[in-house]
Amino acid sequence: MDWLLVSVMNGVVYGLLLFMVSAGLTLIFGMMGVLNFAHASFYMLGAYFAFSLQARIGFWGAILVAPIIVGAVGVVVERYFLRRVHQYGHAHELLLTFGLSFMIAELVKLFYGNYPVNYRIPGSLDFAAFAVGGLDYPAYRVLMGGVAMAMFVLIYLLLTRTRVGIIVRSAIYKPRMAEALGHNVPLVFMGVFGVGAALAGLAGAVAGAFYTTNPNMALELGVMVFVVVVVGGLGSLGGAMLASILIGTITSLSVGIDASLSDLFALFGARQWAEGVGGLLTLKVSSTAGTIPFALMLLILLVRPHGLLGEKG
Amino acid sequence: MKPVHILLLGIVLALLALPSFLTPGLVNAAIQMLIAALFASAYYLLCGQAGMLSFGHAAYFGMGAFATIHAMNAIGGTGLLPTPLMPLAGAIGGGAFGFFAGYFSTKRTGTYFAMITLAIAELVHALAPHLKALFGGEAGVSATRMPAWGFTFGSTNEVYYLTLAWVALCLTLLYLYTRTPLGRLTLGLRENTHRLRFLGYNTHGLAICVFVVSAMFSGVAGGLLVVSNEAANYVLFDAHLSASVVLNTYIGGVRVFLGPILGASLMTFFGYAVSDLTQSWLLYQGALFVLVMMYMPNGLAGLFGQIGQWRSRFGLAALIPFVLLALGAGLLVGGGGAFAIEMLQRFLSQDYQALASANAAGTWPPIRLFKHDWSPAAPGTWLVPATLLTAGAGLAVLARQWLRRLVQREESNRAAAEASVPGDAA
Amino acid sequence: MSDAILTLRGLKKSFGDIEIIRGVDLDLLGGERHALIGPNGAGKSTIFHLISGNIAPTAGEIMFAGKQIGGAQPQAINHLGISRSFQITNIFPRLTTFENLRLAVMRAHGLQYNFWRLVDNNRRVREQTERLLEMVRLQARADSIAGEMSYSEQRSLEIAMTLASDPRVILLDEPMAGMSRDETEYTSNLIREVTKGRALMIVEHDMDVVFSLSERVSVLVYGQVIATGTPEEIRRNASVKEAYLGEEVAA
Ligand SMILES: Nc1ncnc2c1ncn2[C@@H]1O[C@H](COP(=O)(O)OP(=O)(O)OP(=O)(O)O)[C@@H](O)[C@H]1O
Ligand SMILES: [Mg+2]
Repeated sequence: MDWLLVSVMNGVVYGLLLFMVSAGLTLIFGMMGVLNFAHASFYMLGAYFAFSLQARIGFWGAILVAPIIVGAVGVVVERYFLRRVHQYGHAHELLLTFGLSFMIAELVKLFYGNYPVNYRIPGSLDFAAFAVGGLDYPAYRVLMGGVAMAMFVLIYLLLTRTRVGIIVRSAIYKPRMAEALGHNVPLVFMGVFGVGAALAGLAGAVAGAFYTTNPNMALELGVMVFVVVVVGGLGSLGGAMLASILIGTITSLSVGIDASLSDLFALFGARQWAEGVGGLLTLKVSSTAGTIPFALMLLILLVRPHGLLGEKG
Repeated sequence: MKPVHILLLGIVLALLALPSFLTPGLVNAAIQMLIAALFASAYYLLCGQAGMLSFGHAAYFGMGAFATIHAMNAIGGTGLLPTPLMPLAGAIGGGAFGFFAGYFSTKRTGTYFAMITLAIAELVHALAPHLKALFGGEAGVSATRMPAWGFTFGSTNEVYYLTLAWVALCLTLLYLYTRTPLGRLTLGLRENTHRLRFLGYNTHGLAICVFVVSAMFSGVAGGLLVVSNEAANYVLFDAHLSASVVLNTYIGGVRVFLGPILGASLMTFFGYAVSDLTQSWLLYQGALFVLVMMYMPNGLAGLFGQIGQWRSRFGLAALIPFVLLALGAGLLVGGGGAFAIEMLQRFLSQDYQALASANAAGTWPPIRLFKHDWSPAAPGTWLVPATLLTAGAGLAVLARQWLRRLVQREESNRAAAEASVPGDAA
Repeated sequence: MSDAILTLRGLKKSFGDIEIIRGVDLDLLGGERHALIGPNGAGKSTIFHLISGNIAPTAGEIMFAGKQIGGAQPQAINHLGISRSFQITNIFPRLTTFENLRLAVMRAHGLQYNFWRLVDNNRRVREQTERLLEMVRLQARADSIAGEMSYSEQRSLEIAMTLASDPRVILLDEPMAGMSRDETEYTSNLIREVTKGRALMIVEHDMDVVFSLSERVSVLVYGQVIATGTPEEIRRNASVKEAYLGEEVAA
C-alpha cells in the first residue's frame, strides 16, 4: 500500500506539471482560438534557459529569470509571427506554430547538442521530505507540486480579483465588446500569450532539473498535453485539471504494475492461449506505461467525444 | 495539347531517361524523391483537399512499409506477391490502419483532429519497439527482393523504374480521384461540413473514406521504400517523418495538385545534396517552412502562379527589376543565414569545444568554412553574416517598394482612363 | 388539401436556463404553402433548426409522415425528405456555383461513396444541375466562385441547393432577404412554381410576399404560436395586429 501511496503522489505531482503547461495552452486557445503547437517548446526552453543561467546566477535565480525570458519569446512569437498570419485563418496559425516548434527543437540541438544536458537539482534541495513506509520521498517533488499549486492560486486570483483579470476575461469571451469598450485587445492577447509561455517555461525550469532536459522533451510532453486537452475538453480549465491529474496518476501507477493482459485472460483460464498469441497480450503493463494515456484518449473519444468536461458543439 | 500537358509529358520523358545520366547514388536519391512526392500527394488529399490537418501521417507510411516487408518475407521468403506488386501490401496495411485511426480521429474536426492524429502516431511509435514479432524491435525486419516477370530487381535502375511506374500510376489515380463524386465531396468537407449534413451526407463516413484513401496511398509510398531498401525499422514511425511530410507539402503549396509533389521532390533533393555539407538541414527546412507560411501562404506553386498573374498585370519588363531584387534578397538572406548557422554549428560542436579547451587559455582556434579559416573571436567573422542579412533585408524592402509603385501606377492609369471616357466622369 | 405531413406537438427548447421555444403546436399539411411569421427573436429559425436536426428539442415531439424525428441526425432527416435553407447563407464559398449545386444534386443520385466514376461524365447529374441553375437565373454565374457573388445571388444559390434533392417538405428561412424588388417577385413566383406538390414552410419578413404566397400563416411570438389561419384571418386577427403587425396592416 505504501507503494500505491507513493505512486499516487508521484502521479499527482506529474499531473500538476502537466496542468501548468496545459492551463496556458487552454487559456490561449480559449482566447485566440489558436492551438499553440509551440507551447511545449516553451516548456523545453524554460529548462534549457534555466540550465544555462544556473551556472551564473544560481538555481533560484535561474528558476526566476528563465520563465521571464521564455515569456519574452512568447511575446515575440505572438507579435511578430502569429499576428502576421492571423488573416489566413486558424489552420494556418496552427501550422506556423508547428513550424516554430520544429525550429525551436532544431535550434536547441544546434546550441546544446542532440543529447541530454547535465541540468540537476542543487544538492541543497536533494533531500527527503518525509518517509513513507521506509521509503524516502524526495522534497523536490513536493516543491514541484507546491510551485504548481502556488501558480494556480496566483493566476486564479489574478483573473478573478483584479481589474486586469476582468479585462482579460472579457477579452477572452467577448473580444469585440472589449474592443468597443476601449480596451487594447491585441495588447491583452500578447500579454496572455506571454504569461502562458512564461508559465510553461516555469514548469520546464522546475521539472527539467528533476526529469531530463533533452531536445525531445517538448515533443514528449507536448503530446501528453494534447492528450490531456482532448480528454479534458479544450477550453475548459477544470477539464484540463481533472485530465492532468488522471493521466499523471494512471501513468505513474501503471509503471508499477508488473502484469500483462495474459494475466487478465488467466482469470478465465485462457492464459495459455493468450501467451500463445503473444504480442500485445503478453506485454507487461509497466513497459507500456507511456501508451496508456493514448488508450485512455481513444476510449474517451468513443464514449464522450467532447471530453470529460467539454461542451458539445 | 495545353502547356501543362506538354510540361507533364516532358517531365515523364526526362524521368524515363534519367538513370542513363546518373550515378547509382543519384538514382537512389531520385527514388527517394519519387517516394516523397507520392507521400506528400497522399497527405495533400487529406490536408489540402479535405482540410483535415494530420500531424501523424508517418503511422500509415510505416504500416504500409511493415505490411510490405512481411509480405516479402511470407511463404518462406518467396513472397506473397510477385515483387512488382508488393506495394499493394503497403496499400492494404496503410489503408487498414487508416480505417482504425480514421474512425477515431474523424469523430472530431479541426484542432482536435490534428491532436488526435498526432497522439495516435505517438501511440504507435511508443508501442512498436515492444512488439518484436511485428516490428522486429530495435533491429527491425529485413527481406530480399525476389526476381519476377523476367526482372531480377538486383540493380538500382530496375528498382527506379518500378518505383517510377508505381508513383506515376498512383499520382494519376490521385488526380483522377479529385474528379470523382467522392473527390468533389472531399472539397465540400473542407469548405463546409455543416452544410453537407443538411444536404443528406453522412460526413463522418465521408471523412473516414478520405482518411482511408490518403492512408492507403501513404502505405504504398511506405511499401515502395521497403521494396527499395529491403528493410524496415520502427524508426519509420518517428515524428520526424510526420513533420517532414507536413513541411514539404506546405512548402510546395496546397492550393494546386502539383504543389506538394514539387515541394517534396525539391526538399528531398536538397536534403540529399547538402547532406555532406551541413548537419543542420532540418533547421533550414524548418526555417524555410516558417518563411513560406509567413510570406507566401500558397507555397512555391502559389508563388509561381502569383508571378504569372503579376506578369499579365504589369508586363514582363516592369516585373523584371522586382524579380531580380527579390531574388537578390533571397540569396543574400539565405547566404547570411547559412553562414551564421554553419559557423555557430561548428563553433558549438563538441569537437571544437574540446579542442578549444585543450588549447592554451583564451585563444580560439580558427574554424574552416567555405574554404576559409575564420577566427570566432574576430568581429569581422560575424560581420560577414550580419552584412549579408542587412543587405538582403534592404533589397527586400526595395523589392516591396517597387511592387507598390507598380500597383500605384496601375491605379493611376486606370483612373486616367476612366476620366478620359466622356460621360463616365460626370 | 390533405392531412398533416409534419406535426409539432408541445415542442420546447431551452438554451441554458432560457426557454426559447415554449410549447409549440403546429401542423404542416401535405402540399400547402405555410408561412411562419413573427418579430425578431421569436424563435422562427430555432424551430427550423429543431425540425431539420440541427439541434435536439428539450421536450415535445416532431412527427414527420408518422415518424418521430426530434433529435435525429440532419442527414437522416434529409433522407426522409425534408430539405432546408439557412437564414445566414450557408454555401461552399471557395467552390464554383456549379460545383456547389452539383454537390447538392449528387446526393439524390446515390453518389456519396463513388470513387470509380468521373463526375463530369455523369450526364444526369450535369443536366439537373444546369436545370436548377437556369431556374434560379444563375446560369451565367456557373463558373463564378460562390463566395464572391453578390448577396442576392448567394441567396438564389441557397434556394437551388435546397431544392436539389427533390424533397417532400421544404423549409425556407428568409429566402428573399437582401433581394431587390424585381428579384423578390421572381423568386416568389419561382417558389410558388417549384413547391407544387410539396409542402413548404417559409419564414419571411416581407408581408406582401407572405400574404400573396402562402395559403396559411402561423404567427410565432416569444416562442409560442399565437394564431394560425388563412392570410385573411390573420389580417383580421386582433391579437396578431397588436402583437406583431401593428400599424403596418392598419394603415
Ligand atoms: N444557440 C443558442 N444559444 C442561445 N440562445 C440562442 C441560440 N440560438 C438562438 N438563441 C436565441 O433564441 C432566440 C430566438 O432566435 P431565432 O434565431 O430563432 O429567432 P428568429 O425568430 O429566427 O429571429 P429573426 O427574425 O431575427 O431571424 C433569440 O433570442 C436568440 O438569441
Ligand atoms: Mg431567424
